[in-house]
Amino acid sequence: MANKSALTVRSTRFYNGLANWLKSPIHLIGLAALLFLAYTIAWPVLKILYTTFLWRQQDVRLTGEANPGHFTLYHWTRVLASDMSMNLFYKPILNSLGVGFAVSALSMLIGCGLAWLVVRTNVPWKKTIAFLAVIPYLLPSWIISQAWLTFFKNGKIGGTPGIMEALLHVSPPDWLSYGFVPIVVSLSIHDSVFFFLIVGAALSSMNSQLEEAASVTGAARWTILRRIVFPLVMPSILSGFILIFTKAISSYGVPALLGTPVNFYMISTMLYSSMRSRLTTEANVLSLTLMLISMLTIYLNQRVVGRRKSFVTVTGKDSARTLTSLGRWRYPAAGTAAFVMIFISVVPLLVLLFQSFMLKEGVYSLDNFTTHYWWGGSDPNINTGEKGVLQNDIFMLALKNSLYIAGVASVIAAVIGLILGYVVARGRQSWIGRMVDQVSFLPYLIPGISLAAIYISMFAKPTLIIPALYGTITLLILITVVKELPFTVKAGSASMMQIGKELEEAAQISGASWLTRFRRILLPLNRKSLMSAFLLVFIGAMKEMELIILLITPRTETLTTITFYYAEKGYEQLTNVILMIIIAIVITVYFLAVKFGKADLTQGIGGQ
Amino acid sequence: MFISKKKTALVLLTAASAMTIMSACGQDNKSSNTLSNAVPSDAPASTNANATAPSADPSTAPAAESVDELYAKAKEEGKLIVYSTSGRANDAAETFMKQYPGIKVEVSKVKSDEMMDKVTKEQDAGQFNPDVILTKEVSGAVEEEMVMTGRYIKYLPEDIAPMVDEPYRTQAEAYANYVEFRTLFYNKSTYDKAPVTNWWDLTTPEFKGKVYTADPLSSPAFMDLFTTMVINSDDMAAAYKEKFGKDIVLNGTDNAGYEFIKELFDNGLIVLKGSDDVLDAIGKASSDALGLAVSGDVSKNEEKGWTIAPIYDIKPKTSVPDSGYFFIANKAPHEAAAKLFIRWMMGEKDGTGEGLAPFNEVGSWVPRSDVKTKNDISFEELNLWLFDGDALYKTAPKVRDFWIKQK
Repeated sequence: MANKSALTVRSTRFYNGLANWLKSPIHLIGLAALLFLAYTIAWPVLKILYTTFLWRQQDVRLTGEANPGHFTLYHWTRVLASDMSMNLFYKPILNSLGVGFAVSALSMLIGCGLAWLVVRTNVPWKKTIAFLAVIPYLLPSWIISQAWLTFFKNGKIGGTPGIMEALLHVSPPDWLSYGFVPIVVSLSIHDSVFFFLIVGAALSSMNSQLEEAASVTGAARWTILRRIVFPLVMPSILSGFILIFTKAISSYGVPALLGTPVNFYMISTMLYSSMRSRLTTEANVLSLTLMLISMLTIYLNQRVVGRRKSFVTVTGKDSARTLTSLGRWRYPAAGTAAFVMIFISVVPLLVLLFQSFMLKEGVYSLDNFTTHYWWGGSDPNINTGEKGVLQNDIFMLALKNSLYIAGVASVIAAVIGLILGYVVARGRQSWIGRMVDQVSFLPYLIPGISLAAIYISMFAKPTLIIPALYGTITLLILITVVKELPFTVKAGSASMMQIGKELEEAAQISGASWLTRFRRILLPLNRKSLMSAFLLVFIGAMKEMELIILLITPRTETLTTITFYYAEKGYEQLTNVILMIIIAIVITVYFLAVKFGKADLTQGIGGQ
Repeated sequence: MFISKKKTALVLLTAASAMTIMSACGQDNKSSNTLSNAVPSDAPASTNANATAPSADPSTAPAAESVDELYAKAKEEGKLIVYSTSGRANDAAETFMKQYPGIKVEVSKVKSDEMMDKVTKEQDAGQFNPDVILTKEVSGAVEEEMVMTGRYIKYLPEDIAPMVDEPYRTQAEAYANYVEFRTLFYNKSTYDKAPVTNWWDLTTPEFKGKVYTADPLSSPAFMDLFTTMVINSDDMAAAYKEKFGKDIVLNGTDNAGYEFIKELFDNGLIVLKGSDDVLDAIGKASSDALGLAVSGDVSKNEEKGWTIAPIYDIKPKTSVPDSGYFFIANKAPHEAAAKLFIRWMMGEKDGTGEGLAPFNEVGSWVPRSDVKTKNDISFEELNLWLFDGDALYKTAPKVRDFWIKQK
């Protein structure tokens, strides 16, 4: 009897404990988040991992020992410890790491510099500068590398000479024309906007009374920066660093164009080669090594951020913000920033726009002006009769699909990012938070094609409560949301980390449910981060190609799949027209977001 | 509950075997590669009734369907899904829909290797979406992994077959509506005529640092040419002797094919990203360099402002064909429409139909004796190696390894 009641007590205690544990919204949401991540990310990754330990039918091509369906370490030995390893793995991984760190560092300089200028100083033209900062990300990254080649290429890759060679009559050295340097610069220009937005959000929510207090007690400007500003934005900087690092090591287009002439291969380019040569397992091993590296980086980051005291800057108290005065440097600083950014972003954009109105490329006369590529009818002398883009039968359908996918996916992605970011930020000390942080980071490193291929098997038939999604737009939206999680969760957690618990606790005491708290407190306070996540995902989704190419069915054509067709035919102007349309849409959405979403990227998220 | 459990188990099973599925699936029709054998008995009765296709061998084939019969059935089907590696299918679809109103053609453009993954995953999940497959080879993998397993099914209308050139009538894995190949290009404003006649010319000091290629690591079709040289290393050795008047000495390589690759690298081969980059390199300004690119690219000359010309006679052989094959997908839901569309793209019975136009271009050949080519040289006169899918499939990874080690 006594024994029995002791048992009951123990089990009651267990259930009470569990119930209590589940009562905490972080745990409940965390669990839901983990389930979602487990199915959409962890499961595909495990499948990829599993295949690397099995012989496949295809492996008979590589070695006679292959015994399809059985366990083997062959694939890992081949990549890590064979006579191929040096050129297949070690050199490329060193290149990847080098590029990853260099791009992160350079983007940090550009992004933090711009963020400080726009957010913390009294520089003029803030809105213009913030807008210009987004433009490079609008362009496909290969356009930036193409522009680099136009300026800096030397005789090695033939063709028309580069502008530098034509003007100065000196041939640029190979290191300047191809390989490491141009890859790092192109990727940094393209991606530094992520740094700008994440760090900008952190800087703008910082109470400048902290700085003033230090200043009053006699601290020098540098000391303030080092002792106050830097520690406060540290979590954001680390987030940005990892994000850019991961993006850089997984990029393909830029390294392929700029690296190939000088035999500069990265893991991403090797992986693409394995994939195209149908050595899928080799590609899987290579992508897993990338995942391992980034998980290590994230672990180190968690150690650094996790051990620190958390710095809450948004507390619900009014926080006056005074801006650093640049004095007589105000206009020169704004001018330089604007000039540089116009040069690297607006100029390529205008060149593309001009080209879309030129009948023959490179002929600068008025007779050469044409609107044929925009709305012209079929003319057998131009592009073997291909009509202008707006006349293309599937253009409207593709436009509708693109807008729908990008619109819905970016809203969902931003909100999910914020919710998962909440779990990461609040659960920083628990395993749930760390797990969500880790797993949500993998999608950048799973090659788009692999993820899409696995999704076909996973979603072609109804499973449990999930209906068959393959062939529907829903699946395209889902994969876009998943693929952008690394960014949205990072942005969400960086921004959540600065919002004090007191606000929520106060609301909780007054009886507000979690949903109310989220809707009335967290959502408004995180509006800026939410809007920038929305914008960047929208841009990414409009440009996305690789990811959806396997999942589209003819009914779900998008704008980018039309460019795929044009590019193959060599119809450059038509490709440019589509690109211009995409960019125009994104710019429109940007201004709508700024006007109606009050997503002013130059202002704080401090609750106004 | 039981049902959903069973379904989960099925999905798990599919998932676990996703990578090894080639061996596990398609056993019921493993040996079949023509449509007549490959339509299994569980196909819907309506398509099975008299839709069985004529095979390449007339003796076993049932009576061929006439165009009118096909059109009548296709109109009932109403639409048609095409997976294509080439935009030529889009062009043919436009004229097709004018000729045969009532049938809507939807074309998905996918790369050949991705198409293999897409179709495999779809079919394994019980989804049979595409009707017509238009694809290039991937070093023999299409034949090995898709045709032999019955996922792609060969289709050649019986009445057109007699006009088709070999190997595409009976020997190849399927009928190919157009054939391109990788070959050397030169700049017409620099050279009056082809500056080289032998592949080994590229290893001489005259062309040191002056040979460009698209990266075979990212474009397997380029690797296929080098792999074919390795497979036919005796030919390469003979060409060496013809060029230099002495037997080839191998410097630590296995045969004359590998030796050629090695010497090409030693002579400063420059690798660029793609075919267009190569032709930009030699074709934009006056250049005395040579570039390896796709024969079909010659049609982009005006579009791109190039002054390039391809070389169609190189010793020992110019190249290896890169064929645009036609298949009907396994369990194609719109089979009659698929057949009708394939006929249209072939230019119908006499090869004069409008649907053939996108395929019969400069730099690509239609392997039909009754179709007049737009090139100065006919398909039969082209001096090409045979595309040996089986040998390529087995050798390609080794040549790729060798290539990577040269870096």
